[in-house]
Amino acid sequence: MSRRGFMQIGLTGMASLSWPGLLRLRAENALKPNSEKTAIIMVWLNGGLSHVDSYDPKPDIGSEYRGPFKTIETNVPGTRLTELMPMQARIADKFTILRSMYQKAGGHPAGSMQLLSGDPDERDKPKPKLPDWMSVAHYLRSKDGKRTNPLPNYIGVNPPLEYNGPAYLGESYAPFSVNDDPSRPNFEVPNVGLADVSESRRLSDRVALRKSLDKMERAFDKEGELGALDDFEAQAVTLLTNPQTRDAFDLSKEDAVTRDRYGRNRWGQQLLLARRLVESGVEIVTSALNGPLCSRTNNWDDHSVNCHIFDALRFRMGYYDQAVSALIEDIYARGLDKRVLVVVTGEFGRSPKIEFGRSTGGGDASGPTGTLQPGRDHWPRAFSNIWAGGGIQTGGVIGSTDKRGEDVTERPCGPDDFLATIYHHLGIDASKVTINDFNGRPTAIVNNGKPIAELMGKAV
Amino acid sequence: MSIQMRRALSTAVCGVAFLWASAGQAAEPGSPVSFVNDISPILTKAGCNSGSCHAKAGSGQRGFKLSLLGFEPQEDYEHIVKEGRGRRVFPAAPEESLLVLKAANTVPHGGGMRLDPQSEGYRQLVRWIAEGMAFGKDSDPKLTSIDVEPKRMTLPVHSSQQLKVTAHYSDNSTRDVTPLALYEPNDKSMAETDEAGLVRTLDIPGNVAVMVRYQGKVSVSSASIPLGATVENLPPSKNFIDDLIFANLKRIGVPPSPVCDDSTFLRRVSLDIAGRLPTLEETKAFLASPSPDKRDQAIESLLSSSDYADFFANKWTAILKNKRDEASDITANFAFHSWVRDSLLANKPYDEMVRQLLAATGTIVDNPAVAWYKRVKEPNQQMEDVAQLFLGVRMQCAQCHHHPFERWSQWDYYSLTAFFTQVGRKPTSTAGEDLIFHKRGIAQTENKKTRLPVKPAALGTPTLEIPPDDDPRLRLADWMSDKTNPFLAKSLVNRYWKHFFKRGLIEPEDDIRDTNPPTNPELLDALARDFTEHNFDLKSVIRVITQSHTYQLSAMPNEHNAVDRQNFSHYYPRRMQAEVLLDAVNQLTGASSDFGDLPPGTRAISLPDNSYNRSSPFLKVFGRPESSSVCECERVQASSLAQSLHLMNAADVKAKLTMGNGVAESLTKSELPEPEKLQQLYLTAFSRAPTAEELQVAGDSVLKVRTNAQGQPLDPQQSKRMGYEDLLWALINTKEFLFNH
Repeated sequence: MSRRGFMQIGLTGMASLSWPGLLRLRAENALKPNSEKTAIIMVWLNGGLSHVDSYDPKPDIGSEYRGPFKTIETNVPGTRLTELMPMQARIADKFTILRSMYQKAGGHPAGSMQLLSGDPDERDKPKPKLPDWMSVAHYLRSKDGKRTNPLPNYIGVNPPLEYNGPAYLGESYAPFSVNDDPSRPNFEVPNVGLADVSESRRLSDRVALRKSLDKMERAFDKEGELGALDDFEAQAVTLLTNPQTRDAFDLSKEDAVTRDRYGRNRWGQQLLLARRLVESGVEIVTSALNGPLCSRTNNWDDHSVNCHIFDALRFRMGYYDQAVSALIEDIYARGLDKRVLVVVTGEFGRSPKIEFGRSTGGGDASGPTGTLQPGRDHWPRAFSNIWAGGGIQTGGVIGSTDKRGEDVTERPCGPDDFLATIYHHLGIDASKVTINDFNGRPTAIVNNGKPIAELMGKAV
Repeated sequence: MSIQMRRALSTAVCGVAFLWASAGQAAEPGSPVSFVNDISPILTKAGCNSGSCHAKAGSGQRGFKLSLLGFEPQEDYEHIVKEGRGRRVFPAAPEESLLVLKAANTVPHGGGMRLDPQSEGYRQLVRWIAEGMAFGKDSDPKLTSIDVEPKRMTLPVHSSQQLKVTAHYSDNSTRDVTPLALYEPNDKSMAETDEAGLVRTLDIPGNVAVMVRYQGKVSVSSASIPLGATVENLPPSKNFIDDLIFANLKRIGVPPSPVCDDSTFLRRVSLDIAGRLPTLEETKAFLASPSPDKRDQAIESLLSSSDYADFFANKWTAILKNKRDEASDITANFAFHSWVRDSLLANKPYDEMVRQLLAATGTIVDNPAVAWYKRVKEPNQQMEDVAQLFLGVRMQCAQCHHHPFERWSQWDYYSLTAFFTQVGRKPTSTAGEDLIFHKRGIAQTENKKTRLPVKPAALGTPTLEIPPDDDPRLRLADWMSDKTNPFLAKSLVNRYWKHFFKRGLIEPEDDIRDTNPPTNPELLDALARDFTEHNFDLKSVIRVITQSHTYQLSAMPNEHNAVDRQNFSHYYPRRMQAEVLLDAVNQLTGASSDFGDLPPGTRAISLPDNSYNRSSPFLKVFGRPESSSVCECERVQASSLAQSLHLMNAADVKAKLTMGNGVAESLTKSELPEPEKLQQLYLTAFSRAPTAEELQVAGDSVLKVRTNAQGQPLDPQQSKRMGYEDLLWALINTKEFLFNH
């Protein structure tokens, strides 16, 4: 596209571009085959993974800080993880650990909004003010040209939705959500490839009848927004009736070894489905690992009132380690490692200092009500996340924290850097693109961040 | 857009990629180059102080910060000359100054080359440094205004015109600043501009404005782009709207479509005034009536219905942020919704309604209007909302810097905010609900930039001295509701125009400014005048709009006017909004929706707040707003895949088709002849009778023998019932149903 075309977008905001303007931009840009477009899978650990018990262990610290887990060697000399993650330790050369992540909000809502939407507000609020990066990417990619793949471009396999969303981009850019547990034998995705042949035939009959009865076509401006409706209708019919779309969600098409490798449980099969979807041409996939596999409170929010944090980690980390290591391995084994970036993160880490409190209820990894048990509180000042694929140099560790894991000492990376890195992989220059908010004010998709150099891959 | 291209490009440029190579207007050869009058415009034109470069909020770029578009030359001067340990400018060797090296990309610059060393701008910059970097003297002439020529022009499609921009200074001198000014059309699908001020029209006829900016001053050049077709057989004019719309259509040569038929009119006007389809009975009576003024009668009857109040209360409460955050908000939200609805039902004059809301005092129980102060707590928020909602002015930008396309400065922002500084609140016995009162004292606020106190002043008016016992909000309300107020009436009629025509005379509807002129200025003025002459009677606005033939034009384009998107030469179809569509689907299928704590049969259009969206995937997917923004654009009218999937296959829609005692079942059981049943369906869905062909196709489809999974024919009743379900499905999914047309 021409420089002028880019400038119009960059300066006035995508959302303000008129439809004819967009069509013109589209026409100026030859369509790229789908296979060349980069994709991303974000694995979300809502509640916050304890960094010092996982990717940033501090074995030599005093007992009020130190958890019970030993550290183990990885296949990258010098890099150690806790013993909770032996499978990742064996493939540590295939991902990079960012140990110097921080943000500034201590609550789940504000913390999630900082990380996912770049909103610097430190106070919790019920609804996000800014769109999350997934909606932004979905929106920007939808302007790239007509998508020939009938699958939605942004799919959430049990997506994070609580503290994020499309905000002023509108619900159209929310994910297509798969909420059922893909490890269930009768796992179903609504609205995709009607299983029942007679139902599918009936829908085709209905569509044919609708076409023969719809007489208003001429009143509609085909060049305008209304033309988009036809595209969506056609896509919906394909999604509903084309058996191939069903295939993308059909885990029974995966061989048993692969399914076992990810783990025959909700998390494992979620991530397998995520991989299957990017392989089928979906470009933005999120998957939150939560629910009963987490322990009593169904998330990673390991305060002592919720659970015994160390029991909880023992309870869940096996599923986690298996699923995440399988996904990373698989991305490389299938040659998706240039095109697909995998990032695994929670909204913050957990306090290096152990706190003790009384359980508010018994259950998995939590003693009966009143039991004194250890926990860790919210910790946004320093935490870790991991990155794989995306053409990045892996096997490294970026940044470091102090001896207790409380503050970043080297290479601090904030939410804006996190977001700019993701956008960079998706070919979006976060420092330039603005989108108009409800007030028509051009709003930067990232305020001040820079892509983290070590995580900038040579994308396809 | 090509991602690859964009990436390649964006590493090279930052913001406006402009290599200023043309010969600009230099300072007089003898006089020293001044920062204010010479250098700042060069930096602006080169894009250095754009929002994505060195004027980025917070830190600028790499520690070098400039004010947005050079609105604060004094600060910029300090940053360039005194910061950065003086290395930004180096008078001994001006071309070695960091500012120059970076601008020319001689040393690596994230923004690439902004000033070509061969350009006049570069030479001026170097000369300025060599001369010792004068800021400019107090005695220097001050820029007072800019002029653009031509001010008005008529340009054929695919043609071009060079603009000329002249700056006027306090000593009456002038300067041609064409190469240094910035240009931006208000509708980029109609015209493009280049850096040198050349305007090129594209292929859409109508009116477009090019905003011209130079050092904080703005001016506008308006272009009329005629299509040039012969316009004859105009419908007779019903009122001033038709006079002015048709005059414009003649001027630009776009022939209008004919006036629509009765069925189309009744369906359209019922959807637009009452937010619902006409009932079967209403349709039959209307179509059968021989009365020549039956359209006006239908309008009156809709305006006096409670559905009108429901529909417009739904519109207003969303932008007045009647939002349920806590379960306990229910009391306030119900009370506030009722207050708005009752005000509309009683046709309370608009200025009165605004005054009651703006200056509300008391508790939620004795005065529900105070609920707005519960939602919008901070004085600056209250001011921003009031300005955008009732004045059509977006002040947000002016909080942190001079508004980039407006005359409003930070002073205007804070002086308008000052009206809200004496709003007092006290907790009441109802948890979460405050008593709102006037807190005695002098209203003033602090300008966050200058740290100076600012007293209340309305837009474009001098500062008011308000005694401590007077509620300043009443003074603001007085100013707003004065019949000569340039904002209140215009903003309302433009908002309502958009309600009925899909597009405002000014777009966006709440962004009224000199640099965003209406497509038909005479009409906007006439509508506003008519509204004030009718003492802010809201129903009178709706009446005059819907009675016009302009409103009643067919949606079917003719051979010329299909390209028209802003002159109202034909009706622009719109998808029904979420609530209306849900109610319409219910009406057609005989179903109803169940909204939690509300009585069964409550229609979506009368829902008191946003909390019901959560339990209704239908409302959510079709974009019912969450009442979190003052802008109507929060309502999503764009189509999406999720919407198409929902209509085709969602459980709630399917249940409506197949429900017991629903329309499919009752039509199957009914003894009426099939064609009569089809007639009823068509009258309900489209307010018209089916054509012979439609009767044939629909009838055949209903009566077709359906088979089960094994290929065995189904029982005829069961087959017919499936036939009606299929037909209902097909009707719902037609554009004729989904759209108001």
